[in-house]
Amino acid sequence: MATKMNMPQLGYDMSQGTVIRWLKEESSSVKVGEPIVEIETDKAVVEVEAEQNGILRKILVFEGVSVPVGNPIAIIGTEEEDITEFDTLQTKDVSEIKVDDEVIEIKDSEIPDNNDVSETDSSLLLEDNNLKEDLVVRASPVARRIAKEKGIDLTKVKGTGPSGRIVKEDILNFSNIESSDIIESSFVKDNNDKNIPLSKMRQQIARVTSISKNEKPHFYVSCEINMTKAIEFRLQLNKSLESQGIKVSINDLIVKASVQALLEFPNFNAYLDGDNIKINQQINIGIAIAEDQGLTVPAIMDCGEKSLADISIASKDLIARVKNGTLNSSEYTGGTFAISNLGMFDVSSFIAIIQPPQTAVIAVGTVMSKPIVVEDKIVIAQIMNATLSADHRIVDGADGARFITSVKEALENPIGFLI
Amino acid sequence: MLLTIREAISLGLREALNNNDNCFIMGEDIAEYGGAYSITKGFLEEFGKERIIDTPISESAIIGAGCGAAMAGMKPILEIMSINFTLLAMDQIVNNIAKLNYLSNGQMNVPIIIRTVTGGGGQLSSTHSQSLEHWYASVPGLTVVNPSNAYDALGLLRTSIKSDDPILFIEHGMIYRNTYEVPEEYYDVPFGKASTLELGDDITIISYSKMVCVSLEISDILKKEYNVSCDVIDLRTLRPLDSESIINSAKKTGKVVIIEEAHKTGGFSGELTSIIQEECFDYMDSPIIRICSEDIPIPYSKNLEDSIIPNAKYALTEIIKKLNLKKI
Repeated sequence: MATKMNMPQLGYDMSQGTVIRWLKEESSSVKVGEPIVEIETDKAVVEVEAEQNGILRKILVFEGVSVPVGNPIAIIGTEEEDITEFDTLQTKDVSEIKVDDEVIEIKDSEIPDNNDVSETDSSLLLEDNNLKEDLVVRASPVARRIAKEKGIDLTKVKGTGPSGRIVKEDILNFSNIESSDIIESSFVKDNNDKNIPLSKMRQQIARVTSISKNEKPHFYVSCEINMTKAIEFRLQLNKSLESQGIKVSINDLIVKASVQALLEFPNFNAYLDGDNIKINQQINIGIAIAEDQGLTVPAIMDCGEKSLADISIASKDLIARVKNGTLNSSEYTGGTFAISNLGMFDVSSFIAIIQPPQTAVIAVGTVMSKPIVVEDKIVIAQIMNATLSADHRIVDGADGARFITSVKEALENPIGFLI
Repeated sequence: MLLTIREAISLGLREALNNNDNCFIMGEDIAEYGGAYSITKGFLEEFGKERIIDTPISESAIIGAGCGAAMAGMKPILEIMSINFTLLAMDQIVNNIAKLNYLSNGQMNVPIIIRTVTGGGGQLSSTHSQSLEHWYASVPGLTVVNPSNAYDALGLLRTSIKSDDPILFIEHGMIYRNTYEVPEEYYDVPFGKASTLELGDDITIISYSKMVCVSLEISDILKKEYNVSCDVIDLRTLRPLDSESIINSAKKTGKVVIIEEAHKTGGFSGELTSIIQEECFDYMDSPIIRICSEDIPIPYSKNLEDSIIPNAKYALTEIIKKLNLKKI
């Protein structure tokens, strides 16, 4: 039976996706697992695979067009099958992009003042429930009134009421935290300061990090890790792996150490679901990667059983594919824990924000030569600072201390990586 | 002194009969039998058959006769066994006693008290378990009194007896036995003045009659388990209505829950919701929550009846869900 293929949800908080390229033409056959379309999310271009065997009967959304998650983008069926029942589904081509852009603008402005939406536009909006939901900022009347009095932009406030409605408390909290911002923003209005609109990626980063900081009570545990042995170990290991073309990085060692710690403390490989902690089956280590446009955190999948060499290969592959934009969706969204490494900069230590819905992230700085005391003697050691950020709803400070100590011990006794 | 609601009403009626020679009581089975709810037990012996009168089973005759007696200067107190039976006398209530003062340009008063019993919960099935007081609350010219406790029952009955207007004094059959502290010394409770039984900042709970008991139960749980404090407002009289108390509290909390036993469609909570949205729109922080009986005839079966008339468990679930409340 012919079925609709819908715009997939490829990321946390993804609401729209753009069809970049159809990899299959209409009437060509598709197999389960075969990439058929490239979708651009706020952060990356992702190849989407077919979920059933059959013929790509009809493409509904043409290249370059963006539609909300859940909207049909194609019809897949058998060769002879009658697909007239899908005739009501309109194809969307580039000529409609303009309409989409306007729609997004409406979202940002205040709905009641929005008298200039032409009739055709509003009928378009009504056709699409997903889009319509997205347009309305849910806020209680008192929240709206206070927001107006204080000049707060409701689209910037996170609602904690039912269905994410912004309630009075949210506005009051926002105005307490952001009062300095408000003064600043009203100042900007009277000024000719240079204006840089946030890119889609920056908007996404802003959203995700704000949600994380709002929802997750972060706590932090730091320690110094003596990397002297690890560096030596890495040199020796790379010599022996040279013939195979494998080069293990410091970051790979940190990944491996984290995996071992996660196996020992599975609560750090978990997420919160209502009043339950759900432990992820797989260990997928997200690696924070800085690109020109901003940050992505793709994951090395299923690290639980991977050897150091496997991790190293997977990590290189991942970074290469981030650069050419061919990450697949599970790699993009599937991280269960993350590592943020600013070791390439001269940074002694820093604190990372947890990537929702994960429980923890470890932030490591650069490895520096430092004098330390060993058996009452001052010696030079290679020291790296690591800071764990963890979600206090799931784990406590003592758990965090045990976890980071486990990472530290693994890195300080790297021979264990070979077991 | 500790009094049940039943005892408080009996006390008020005795006071009326003792203090006012024009006062008499009339109704079905109220004399020989002492009343279907034993309110007038012993009255026949105490006051005699001239003043404690058993009537035929004809509600329109009871109220029609009472109306005439009131116009002629008496102070009739009529008992209609159930609010469901007042429907037989609706013309007398709505077209006669409620209107005469207006029709006569104030020349005539109908100082009548119609006592009746509302509500379900006693497995009396669909025709004996309705809450119809809000129907009468929509009639100008009537005063609709719905006490929830013994203090109010006595205080409001005293005010009813002093009043020159027609009063529907509506008791709830399931709370007669509830006991309350009532002062020995004389007091009364004015019409159109709601009472705030609990003071809080977070949610306003509005109710009357038996649902006040449910509201207090909920308020207690919300405070202890959710750290949420409630204004619990007992309307006491649906007409005249104390809009001011409702508005002030709704403006303060921004979140209103209305609990009533009547069916949701056309219920009094709809009227209250309308007042609040008209007067407090810019103060509201949540849609108003109406907790009412399901829109079906009240069943006989105990489990079905219990599942249709609002109770604390159901109301609490709704409130928690709709206001996103989290346990401490």
